[in-house]
Amino acid sequence: MKNLSLGSRVHYLVALTLGLFLVFGYLVATGSGRVSTFGWALFAVTALLLGLTLYTVHRVLLAIKNLTKNLKAAADGNLDQRMTGIKKGAATGELAWALNDLLDQQEAYFREVFSAFDHASQGKTFRLAMDQGLHGAFKDAMTRVNVSVESLGQVQHMAIKERLIARITDLNSGNLIENLKSIQEYLMSMTQELGVVGQISKETAQEAEGSRTTIENLVANLNQVAEMIAQTNAQTTLLHEKGDEINQIVQVITDVADRTNLLALNAAIEAAHAGEIGKGFAVVAEEVRTLSENTKDAAASIAATIESFGEATSRMIKDSEQVKEIAEGSRNAVRDFRSQVLKFADSAKTSMVQVDKAQDFSFASLVKVDHFLFKQNGYRVLHQGPDSPEARAIRTDHRECRLGAWYYQGQGAEQYSHVPSFHRLETPHAGVHASIQEAVNLLGTSWDKDEALQNRIFSHFESAERASEEVVHILDQMLDERHREL
Amino acid sequence: MSLRPQPTQHEKVLGENDFIVSKTDLKGLITYGNRVFIDISGYSEQELLGAPHNILRHPDMPRSVFKLLWDTIQAKSEICAYVKNLAKDGSFYWVFANITPSFDSRGNLIGYYSVRRKPKPEAVQAVSGLYRAMLDAERRAGDGQAGMKASLAVLHQALEQKGMSYEEFVFGL
Ligand SMILES: Cc1cc2nc3c(=O)[nH]c(=O)nc-3n(C[C@H](O)[C@H](O)[C@H](O)COP(=O)(O)O)c2cc1C
Repeated sequence: MKNLSLGSRVHYLVALTLGLFLVFGYLVATGSGRVSTFGWALFAVTALLLGLTLYTVHRVLLAIKNLTKNLKAAADGNLDQRMTGIKKGAATGELAWALNDLLDQQEAYFREVFSAFDHASQGKTFRLAMDQGLHGAFKDAMTRVNVSVESLGQVQHMAIKERLIARITDLNSGNLIENLKSIQEYLMSMTQELGVVGQISKETAQEAEGSRTTIENLVANLNQVAEMIAQTNAQTTLLHEKGDEINQIVQVITDVADRTNLLALNAAIEAAHAGEIGKGFAVVAEEVRTLSENTKDAAASIAATIESFGEATSRMIKDSEQVKEIAEGSRNAVRDFRSQVLKFADSAKTSMVQVDKAQDFSFASLVKVDHFLFKQNGYRVLHQGPDSPEARAIRTDHRECRLGAWYYQGQGAEQYSHVPSFHRLETPHAGVHASIQEAVNLLGTSWDKDEALQNRIFSHFESAERASEEVVHILDQMLDERHREL
Repeated sequence: MSLRPQPTQHEKVLGENDFIVSKTDLKGLITYGNRVFIDISGYSEQELLGAPHNILRHPDMPRSVFKLLWDTIQAKSEICAYVKNLAKDGSFYWVFANITPSFDSRGNLIGYYSVRRKPKPEAVQAVSGLYRAMLDAERRAGDGQAGMKASLAVLHQALEQKGMSYEEFVFGL
């Protein structure tokens, strides 16, 4: 009986008791009032069986009570309870083990699920729920749990990544704006200063040009002076030579006068010899002698004059020689000075071009930075909201911004409108402004709940980036084209 | 407790679809074991109930693994470990043990729950090599704290070399 199952044991006992009871009843009915010894024995066995049945039922009820307690606890979510001390072959043993197995399956299932989710939520996605040893629906459920654990892990991972990226992006763009602003300021003052330097070097170049003509005039004047000195010198020399000639003539005159005097003397002597007849002649002779005497005096005074004149001219020659040297010296000095001034004028001109270029570059950098800032402000609206100062900064039109002012009425229009790339700038520049403005307008809507809106915002930012790239490129080309002319 | 079984080279293998479940109190005394546990360990339920869990302790296991085990579960965390166990008849069986703390409805720690599954043969191979090295270090350093330290150092070195945490390592096997 020991090895019979619970149900059959009870059935068996009940059937046996009933059978024995029927036999006992039959014996009482037919045995004319007297109950035989056999009858009493039968009754005793029946009563015993009945007792055994009651005991078994009691045991079964007790086991069922125990099982019920455990099942109730399990129904209340307490999976910790187990049936222990299960007697081998006890009527309810199989049932108890079956309940234990069920609870083992459930508890193992839940603990695995918890562990796997706990780990996944900490980013430890390698800790999947183990389905080994789980049966049927528990095993199937675990497979699905692992799919969610994996995706939870991914979401977790992405969320962590996203959070960091968002924080860093925010930090970065905040700092980026600060950095860009300082570069902007720097470029602004540099552009201004270069403007001043450009003005100065322009003036310098003009002044140098002025000095150059002054020097040219000075050189011309000096040349004239030198030439005049040379001429005077030649004339003086000529004069000096003429003085010598006069001296010779005076010598001749003196000779003639001497000889005339001698002749007059002889004539006077001859006249004295001739007496009265010679008297008149003596007067003539005397007159001739006086005349020759006068001539000689005149010649002597001419000679003296010529001599002093000669001294003067030779002094003059000597002086003019010195003047010539001085003039020559000045001319050399002026020539050196002139070449220096020329060099200075040239370098002033090149530095003017250089400064011009530098100013253009720094201005181009400035407007590039302006547009980077403009875009950054657009991106910042994403975090700072559509009422932020960033959003307000976005409203600037492409004609009002620094580049716009330059392009439509400022220096750009004056100095650049003739270069080929100039007209290509307008469209992308307007595009940067329009795209960012449209993106920012959409950021005022409930984009955070609408993926289609997000896509539109993204594509506006994207086209702003492309347009801004083009602006930068065209600006560089414009500069290049103009500087090649300079 | 009766004399420890003499270890033999006979290996028992856990079924692919089975797991061993056991529960202990806070001291590691067994309060429940499922039928798979009873079958494979060779002990009866009566023998297991109330016995310390080290009844299954195999001499090939480094002590430091159990230190790690207890440190972890006492900190109310889950531990997973490859364990070589000793059955009553001296045979051994490898398990991938998962032990988690149990709490009552008020959150008090009341015991531990262990599920042991059939490990992958490659994992057993890798782990038994590591355990041998740990055991050697443990023995060389002598018993007590020094042995424990030396053995854990071997484990940490192996993990460092792989650039993994302990958990990543056991689940990656
Ligand atoms: C829930 C639970 C399950 C355990 N399972 C095992 C096991 O399967 N094998 C084992 O050797 N130790 C197991 N232990 C660890 C033992 O309690 C014990 O620490 C280990 O056998 C080492 O023995 P020792 O502490 O006497 O050195 C388990 C501990 C707990 C709390």
